Amino acid sequence: MSRNDGRSSRLRRRPSRTVPAIVVGIVLLAASVALAWASIARLIDGTWSTLLLGLRDWLVGLHWDDPSLWIIGIVAVVVGVVLLLCALIPGAFSALTVRNATARADADAQEHEHTAAERETVMTRRAVAHLARAQCVKLDGVGTASATASNKRVHLKVDTSLRETDDLRIRVIEDVRDRLNTTGLDPLPRITATIETTG
Amino acid sequence: MRQTAGTLNRTWLAILGILVLVAGVAVLLQATGILQNVLQTPLRGAKIVTGGLHPFFAQQWLVILFLAVGIIVGVLALLWIIAQIPRKNLAETYRLQQPGAQGRTTCDPSVLADVVVHQINTLPGVVASSALLRGTADEPDLTLKVTVNDEADVRALLRHLESTTFMELSTALETPVIKRRVQIDVSARNQNSGTVTQSGGIVLQ
Repeated sequence: MSRNDGRSSRLRRRPSRTVPAIVVGIVLLAASVALAWASIARLIDGTWSTLLLGLRDWLVGLHWDDPSLWIIGIVAVVVGVVLLLCALIPGAFSALTVRNATARADADAQEHEHTAAERETVMTRRAVAHLARAQCVKLDGVGTASATASNKRVHLKVDTSLRETDDLRIRVIEDVRDRLNTTGLDPLPRITATIETTG
Repeated sequence: MRQTAGTLNRTWLAILGILVLVAGVAVLLQATGILQNVLQTPLRGAKIVTGGLHPFFAQQWLVILFLAVGIIVGVLALLWIIAQIPRKNLAETYRLQQPGAQGRTTCDPSVLADVVVHQINTLPGVVASSALLRGTADEPDLTLKVTVNDEADVRALLRHLESTTFMELSTALETPVIKRRVQIDVSARNQNSGTVTQSGGIVLQ
């Protein structure tokens, strides 16, 4: 179950793998309901469902080197590897760390390591991208802009009517870096920009 | 803000992944005949089921076993699916009591959270906010989500939270709020009270 010890969990966390968990849960639930239903029907009627009878007849005629068994083996290996990868790949953090608001808060955090673990300020990746884009569109020469943010990098895609784009790229990167630095992102992500001339 | 079942999911996905992977590899090794050389399993050309399955399927205990397995796996799968619902896990009622005091004060944490939210929502640039209080009155644990517009001064907002909001909550609870987490989100929406305006202009030539 989800954590229920009355304490907050970290806001900057890895993906919870909810989608694969729900998919596997539904598959297991459907299979178990079918099995329980077939068993109850057998207890009431005295006959197995035609689905299980078909499975039984298929198993009786099957050899170990049958092509269908190869397919089952390969599918099982693929599914097993996918499930293991879902479990083992950590995934990207959902948010970026923001510096403490005051020097005193920083000193407190350094003095007490347990306090630092329980005192965090974060900004979601979407928020960082939104902030970068908002800062970018304020610049003279920028037509439209879009931004994506990961934990280590913010990338801006800018459309402009300017023919010479080198200067604009430098201004975009510096301006967005200043804005994110002023906001307190720590560590500061790398800013990159792609400028496209339109029109 | 809300808590999810990340550890539970990864644990069960790893267990099921290993089981399915081992089963798949075993089937492939048997199909190729490698397993037969190592563990003396049946020949790769042999039938999987030797003899008829009719007598086997006719046994009463098998029905009971299938039913039990179906119910147990079904309940576990259902609990796993239900565990995916994000939970707030809010604190119980805070009970504030001084040693040797005659009485005791009880306080619903959601009331305190509402006060915090109300105060934060009046700050410049804040579009919306929500607060969750966990822990106990002695060790309160505050989690905040503050949505600001893209013009907001985030550092000033954090300084205000540090110097005023957390301090006032500490005063109300008569204990420092050491455990606190703040999530900043940015929205294109403006504050209800309105601090951001789009200006129009005329260019004279």
